[in-house]
Parts: sequence; C-alpha cells; structure tokens
Amino acid sequence: MTLQWILDGVIAAATLALGATGVTLTYSNLRFANFAHGEFISWGAYLALTLAALAGSVFGTAEVAGPFSFGGRLLLAAGLAAALTGVIALVLDMLVFRRLRARGAAVTAVMASFGVSMSLRALLEVLYTSRPRYYSEELEIAMPLGAGLRATPDQLAVLGLALVTGIGVALLLSRTSLGRQMRAVAENPVLAEIVGIDVAQVIRLTWLLGAGLAAVSGVALGVLVQVRPSMGAELLLPLFAAAIVGGIGSVPGAFVGALVVGVAEAATVRYAGAEWRAAVSFVLLVAVLLVRPTGLFGRQP
Amino acid sequence: MSGWFAYACTFGVLALVQGIACLGLNLQWGQTGLFNVGVAAFMSIGAYTSALVTTAAIDGRLGGLGMPIVVGLVAAMAVAALASAAVGALTLRLRTDYLAIATFGVAVVVDLVARNAVSLTGGTLGISFIPRPFASFADRPVPFAFATFVLVALLAFGAYLVLERLATSPWGRVLRAIREDERAAASLGKSGAWYRLQAFTVGGALMGLAGALEAHAIGFLSPDNFTASVTFQVWAMLVVGGSGNNRGALAGAVLVSALWSLTGLATAAWFPPDEQARAAALRIVAIGVLLTLTILWRPRGLLGERTAVSRHLGGAD
Amino acid sequence: MSRAMLEADALVAGYEPGTPIVQGASLAIGAGEILAVLGPNGAGKSTFVKAIAGLVPLGAGRVVVGDVDVTAWPAHQRIEAGLAYVPQIENVFATLSVEDNLALATRGSRAARRAALERALGRFPDLGLARTREAGRLSGGQRQMLAIARALVVEPAVLLLDEPSAGLSPRVVGELFGQLRAIAAGGVGIVLVEQNVRAALALADRALVLVAGRNRLEGPAADVAADPLLAALYVGGVAA
Repeated sequence: MTLQWILDGVIAAATLALGATGVTLTYSNLRFANFAHGEFISWGAYLALTLAALAGSVFGTAEVAGPFSFGGRLLLAAGLAAALTGVIALVLDMLVFRRLRARGAAVTAVMASFGVSMSLRALLEVLYTSRPRYYSEELEIAMPLGAGLRATPDQLAVLGLALVTGIGVALLLSRTSLGRQMRAVAENPVLAEIVGIDVAQVIRLTWLLGAGLAAVSGVALGVLVQVRPSMGAELLLPLFAAAIVGGIGSVPGAFVGALVVGVAEAATVRYAGAEWRAAVSFVLLVAVLLVRPTGLFGRQP
Repeated sequence: MSGWFAYACTFGVLALVQGIACLGLNLQWGQTGLFNVGVAAFMSIGAYTSALVTTAAIDGRLGGLGMPIVVGLVAAMAVAALASAAVGALTLRLRTDYLAIATFGVAVVVDLVARNAVSLTGGTLGISFIPRPFASFADRPVPFAFATFVLVALLAFGAYLVLERLATSPWGRVLRAIREDERAAASLGKSGAWYRLQAFTVGGALMGLAGALEAHAIGFLSPDNFTASVTFQVWAMLVVGGSGNNRGALAGAVLVSALWSLTGLATAAWFPPDEQARAAALRIVAIGVLLTLTILWRPRGLLGERTAVSRHLGGAD
Repeated sequence: MSRAMLEADALVAGYEPGTPIVQGASLAIGAGEILAVLGPNGAGKSTFVKAIAGLVPLGAGRVVVGDVDVTAWPAHQRIEAGLAYVPQIENVFATLSVEDNLALATRGSRAARRAALERALGRFPDLGLARTREAGRLSGGQRQMLAIARALVVEPAVLLLDEPSAGLSPRVVGELFGQLRAIAAGGVGIVLVEQNVRAALALADRALVLVAGRNRLEGPAADVAADPLLAALYVGGVAA
C-alpha cells in the first residue's frame, strides 16, 4: 500500500495533463494567459451532464458498459460537450479576445479573460446551483493491480484516455501540416501571414482544440470526482503550473509537468495533509520561475 | 433617519477601503501596466497582520501583541509591501503575464493559509475582537460610524494626494514610459525592472492598508472577507472609473460599491430565500459583463487618463 | 519592358492614420526584371514594399498583380496571386527545421508538395545538406537563402525582397546576388529594397529612388547610377 499514493498522483495527473495541453497550446498560439481556461473545464463537464441527461430521457435510464460507471451515452455527450465548449471559446474570441489582440494589448486580454472567467463560473451557479453533481450513482470498486496497488476501472480508463489524447496531439503538432502551421504561428504570427498561412483560421482551430481538451478533462474529472461550478477554477493554478513547469508550447512538457504537479500533490496529501494540496502548484511555480523560467522542455529565449 | 445615516457611513467606509486598494491597483496597473490577480490576497495579508499586532493575546494563537491600531496599520503596509516585493522580484523580469499567474498563486496560497493555519489566523472562524477606532463611543452608533467614516476618508484622501504627487513626479513619468513602450523599458534594462518593482511594492502596501482598515472598521476578520470576488470588484472599480486616473479609481470604487449594494438589496427583495445563492451569482455575472464591456467599448473608463492616450488600454480608436 | 506583372499605383500607407510614411509612391515591374528601390534612411522604402505585400494599412492606391487587383486582399492571400515577400529580419521560423520552413509554403497534393520541396532544396545546395537542422542554427547567409527559397516555393510572379544583403559579408552578398540573377532569368520579377546602393545598381535592370515616400528619380540602373541627385542624396559617401 505504500506506493498507492504515487498511483493516485499519476491518475490525478492524467486529468491535469488533458487540461494543461490545452493551456500550453492556447498560451503559445494566442499569446496570452487565458484565465477563463478553467471555466472551459467546468462548462464541458456541465454540458456533458445535461446532454447525457437529455439522452437518458430519450433512450431510457442511465446505462453502463462493462466494469465502468459510464457508458457510450456519456462518451457521446462528452464528444458533443467538447464541440460545444469549443464553440463557446470561438464566440468569446470573436466578441472579446480578437478585438483586444487586434489592439496589440496582450495584458488587457489577460484581464478580460479574468472578467470572463468570473462571469462564466457565476453563470454556472445561476444555471445549476453550486450543489455537486455526479454522472452516475454507480459505486465503483477498486480492483487490485498487483504489488498492493488498486485502481477503479474508471481511473484506468481516464489514464488510457489521457495517454492516447496526448500522443494524438503531439503527433498532430509534429507530423501534420496543421501542426506545422500551429508551430509557425506560435513562433511568429506576422511571418506566418507572410508565408501564406491563414493565421485567423489557425487561431480558431487552436481555440477549438484547447477548449475541447478542457471539456474532456472536465468530464474525466466529473467521472472520477464530481461536477461543481468551481471545479475548473480550482484546477487553473495546477494547470498553469504544469504548463510552465513543462515549458509553454510543449505538449510532452505539459504531460511531464502534469505528472510532476499530480505526484507532488499526492505526496503533500500523504505527508502534510489534504488541506495543503493547493499550495503545491504555487511552490512548484515559484521554483521553476526561480531556476528555469522556460520550463523543462521550453526554449531558452 | 439616523439609521439611514449610519448605514450611509458604513457604506462609505467599505467603499473607500476598497477605494484605497483600487488606488494601489491604479499605481500597479493604471500607471505601470502590471497585472495583479491577487488584490484580495494582499488586502488579506494586511488585515491579518494588523489583527495579530493589535488584538489581545489569546491562548493557542500566535500574535496578540495588543499594540495600538496605528502600529497595526504600519505593520500591515510593511508586510504587504514585502510580499509584493517578493512576488515582483520573482516575476517582473519574465514575460508580463507570469506576474498575473504568480499573483493568482499568491491568492490561492494566502486563502489556504488563512483557512488552515489555525494557530496564526484562527482558521475559518477568523479573528474577532479586533480593536476598532473610536471604541470609546461605540455605544452611540451614529457618531461612531461617522467618525470611522471620516478617518477612512482622510486616509483615502491622503493616499490620493501622495499618489497624485508621485504620478506627476519624474518617477511617475518613468513608470508611464515603461508601460507605453516595452522596448523603451527594455532599453532601461535592469532599472526598468527596478522601477516596476517599486511601483508594485507601493501598490501592494496600499492594498495591505486597505485590508487592515477593513478589519478594524468591522472588528472581525475571516477568510471569506477576501475571496477572489473582492479582487474582481476592485478591478471592476478601476476599469469602470478609469485606469491611470486616481480620481477615477476612487469614483469607480464608490460607483461599483453602490451598484453592488443596490443589486444586493434588489435581489434580497425580489428573490425567494432559497434562490438567494443564484441571485448573488447573477450579480457577479453582471459585474463581469460590465467589466468586459468597459474594456472593449470604453477602455479609458468614466474619467480615463488625463495625460497620454494609453496604448495598453487600447487608446481612442 | 514587357507587360507589367506587378503594378503598385500611387500608394499612401503608414501605421498611424493621418501620418502616412508612403505618400503616393508607384512602381511597375515586368517578368524577369530586377528593380532596385533606393533612397535615404526614412524614405519609406520598407514600408512601401510592406504595403504592396499587404502588411501595412493602405490609405489610397492600387496594387495589381498580373490582371488581378489585390488591393483589398489580406496578406496571406496575395501569395496565391503570385506575390511573395521576404522581410529583412525574422524571415525564417527559427524553431522549425529547414524542411518544415519550406513545407509551410507548399500547396496541393502530397506529391506536389514533395516535388515543390525538393525543387526548392535543389536550387540551394547548402540548404539541401541541412534539411533537418533548425533554421535558428543556420548562418546569416543560409537563413537569407532559406527565406528566399521558401518564397520561391509558390513559384511567384514577383519577389519582394527587403534588404536581403543586410548583415552579410561581401562574399555572401555576391553569392546571393548571383542567385537573384538566376531567379530573374527564370522569369520572376524582383523588387529589391537596398541600402547597399552600388551592389544593387550593379545587379538591377532599373532603379527607383524614393524620397519622403514619393518617387523622386527612376530609370535604367546605369542612368540612375550616373545621376548627380543620387550622390547628393547619399551625402557622406554611402553611395560612393
């Protein structure tokens, strides 16, 4: 049982990694720290909740597949929620962020994202109240994995999902023409325009991808823990910490950063108490800014 | 009538307390372009510092030095300034939004300490019996409220005068130059970062003063006094009033406080008790929309900056 | 001069509305021609070509490529019309490989992209040897070659070059200008903004001298070189 806390940390890191990948992509391509990213996580989780309930009222009671607490219905709802969250991000970009980018005022965009995040979170409380919700009432039993370690099927599913998604996004960036364009826009948007890249289109796709990944991580968190309006906001500091520890713009970095944050949080819960968990991200953030501000996989400026 | 007057004084105290924090934020953001997402945290640091310095000793809690309120206020400013200087020193040489992320982290950690370091902060129960100014006539509510209001108003006015002085000084001009032109700031090299650090530290000290004043005005302190929504309100005050303008900061504080109180009264009257939480959330949505719309459509706020057209606020396009 | 492949007519352009840097400058260039755009510092040469490329807001004037009026087109679409621009600085993606830099400009089917990439690498043998290297690790001359190679991937009708010789050694400049002559011989029109007046006039067929954002002198390169006004503009012997 002594190593169980490490496994718990790795599982927490899986949901973090999905969100941190979105943060690192949008941060490097849109060139501002988006404080509303956490809200995409919460909105994704709630949209999936509503869509799954809708599907339930059409097709009958909740369904489960195999050993999991969820079934194809939630997966479908999660996919739709990811798309809808992407649309929310696009609309926000059109109404707010694009205009501020056009003025060349990145810090003002950060500030506007702060205002947007408060509104989005409060709006969830208006719509759903702050009472925690669950995708399923199913009780999951942790299975022994050997070496005294235990995990629920749901946890293993989230772990697998994070790995597959991470590899997929990394391949998208390194192997595809869209990925090449995204890297080019991240480095130098003006030159990208000169080279003939439709920068506005690449930015739209970046929003879709980042917000979609956030929604998926929200659903994963909802399956493993619960759905609350503040779930994304509470994840924001760990996400920024993971993205900066890994190096802004690097997808493998976001995964390693998430692993560092997740395991460090688990260690803190075990050795210092659960109430200090939220301080871990700050300590890691301070440490990386002191020692290596470009992060583990970032480039030296 | 007297009940109304006491209420107005209490409203004025709380509005001007946030106004002082808003003046601090104006120095950081309005004058220097430094983004601080931890306003509430620096207020909280000031409030707890002053409370620990001025309250009587209690078993099982640190502090309790029983010093006069003035000492508490000075200590509050000093500790908040130190915290700001530390965060600034860490992030001001890096890309601009790392300061935003770091101050956000400070907000999370300060809230965590306030809630969990029970021997220092009293935990979620907070600290009570914080000495209040003019305690000798606390039994007469109207003069008591009025005296407290006058004290806070004088301090707010004093802070305003000092900041106006600073804004027109060579020091203030350097700050604006740094804000307007990153390249000019870069050419100043290390001294550019040094100027920013000074502005960030002085702004943090004012937030500490504001937090301490709030604690002494209410006489009680808990982590819930300094949630993220306080930061959010102070930001809304500055942006609505007019970034870069000290009078705008104070006017915005009074205006947004009034809006906040009025919408509070309205929701209390119009919504049934079990819908109150939802109604409160609706007020935050409204303030957020107000903030965002102001940034987009009236980036200079109600009063705006008198001197230069600011590029970082979008200018008058 | 044959029919113009690019015509920029009476452009007014600048970053701040009301204070244009380019105040009515014009140029026209035919296939295979090299036009040097000269002028003292601050004459608006760079802003002029940026405006042609669509990177500076236009107050007035017209940009026509072939038969197509591209005045209202965003920068990234002007490439489709056959207009390729190479900025003076930051003209390659330093974090991308040489191959990725070139691939960004390719269009069409996988086979077509592959072929375009190989053609570009074939033209500059130095780059062919460094195809997987990050562009940030190339020498100054190699970077300039890469930037030009990338601009040529789309097989443009006209190439706009902003001071390609800046910061390069005379030997590398000679090599580079040799390449430009070969490119022009292939039918591409080249607009060359240069501070290096003597080298530019030796290379160019025609020259245009801008002063205060307007055409001041233009004609065959040899005539412009002999004009006393040119020497007067470059007081201090920059043009000597």
